[in-house]
Amino acid sequence: MEDRERAELRRLMGRLADGDRTAFAAAFALLWPRLRAFAGRYVGGPDGEDAAQAALLRVFSRAGEYDKERDALAWALGIAAWECRTLRRKRERRREQSGPSVQFADATATPEEAAVENDLRAAVDAVAGALRPLDLETLRAAARGERSGGATFRKRLERALARFRHAWRAKHGSE
Amino acid sequence: MEANDPTLTLEARARRAYELGRLRDATKLAPFIILAGAAALACGRPWPLTAAVTLPLLALSLGLSFAGGAAGRAVVPGLVAGGPALAMPLLMATVGHACFGDSCMTLCLPACVVGGAVAGAVIARMAVRHDGDVRFLGSAFAVMALTGALGCSISGAAGVVGMLAGVLAAGTPLLVVARR
Repeated sequence: MEDRERAELRRLMGRLADGDRTAFAAAFALLWPRLRAFAGRYVGGPDGEDAAQAALLRVFSRAGEYDKERDALAWALGIAAWECRTLRRKRERRREQSGPSVQFADATATPEEAAVENDLRAAVDAVAGALRPLDLETLRAAARGERSGGATFRKRLERALARFRHAWRAKHGSE
Repeated sequence: MEANDPTLTLEARARRAYELGRLRDATKLAPFIILAGAAALACGRPWPLTAAVTLPLLALSLGLSFAGGAAGRAVVPGLVAGGPALAMPLLMATVGHACFGDSCMTLCLPACVVGGAVAGAVIARMAVRHDGDVRFLGSAFAVMALTGALGCSISGAAGVVGMLAGVLAAGTPLLVVARR
């Protein structure tokens, strides 16, 4: 950003802080490309666009707090950096909570089949959350083909499946 | 730009965020005004009169602050200037002085005049810093008058008139001298 534009942004933000609404459009036109470029570099991809929008809204929401003595661009980028960090933390937390993403079992599946499988996996995940850890572990072991323990394992698997069916009916209404 | 242009939508959202931000900033004044009204009530001012002064003061302060400009900048100086005019007569009531009849003229009314004089001096000083902007002066005066009236109405209409006389007596010479 050139010094002239920087000074213009400073003047416009000062006017906005004072309640002069006529400075809004020009301030928006100067700020948005800079914030988008900054957030794009900081976060990247579609998340960058989201972060840029959140930052832009935050900058205008706090325009009344802007101190005319400060550089407007540095002030706006400081807010944008904070928004980017917040968005990144939120996304990371969400990824941690949802666990590893669902993957298609069959790479040759059609998009419809893949969508159905994803829906089924999501439905299973929703029910699995209601099961006891031991039942969950037993079902996982059975899915992996591990059948150690003979009759005891079979009995435990039967019970786990019965509880799973019960939870499925309670959650989704049918088998 | 077309109506479905995402940039236009974002600009509209940014504009709304800006207005909401200004409204949020303006409402930060509300607790102080409500506190002034509560102080007047606690000192025995009748609630209909207190509400009749506090509510317009609240609406005026929030509206001017939200709108911004010179008038918006004058709200806080107006409230500060009105502080002594509000506090002095109320303090008289808290030290046990009953404002009835002639006794009112000996303490409460002079307190209102002195409070008004202090307010006038504060407003004149602030107005000089803003080059004597008429919008600033008018806005600060209106806010100060309502704030002071919360306390000076203890002496009735005479108290409010006395306060305004004090404002003019102290503020006008200061403004005139500063403009020369």
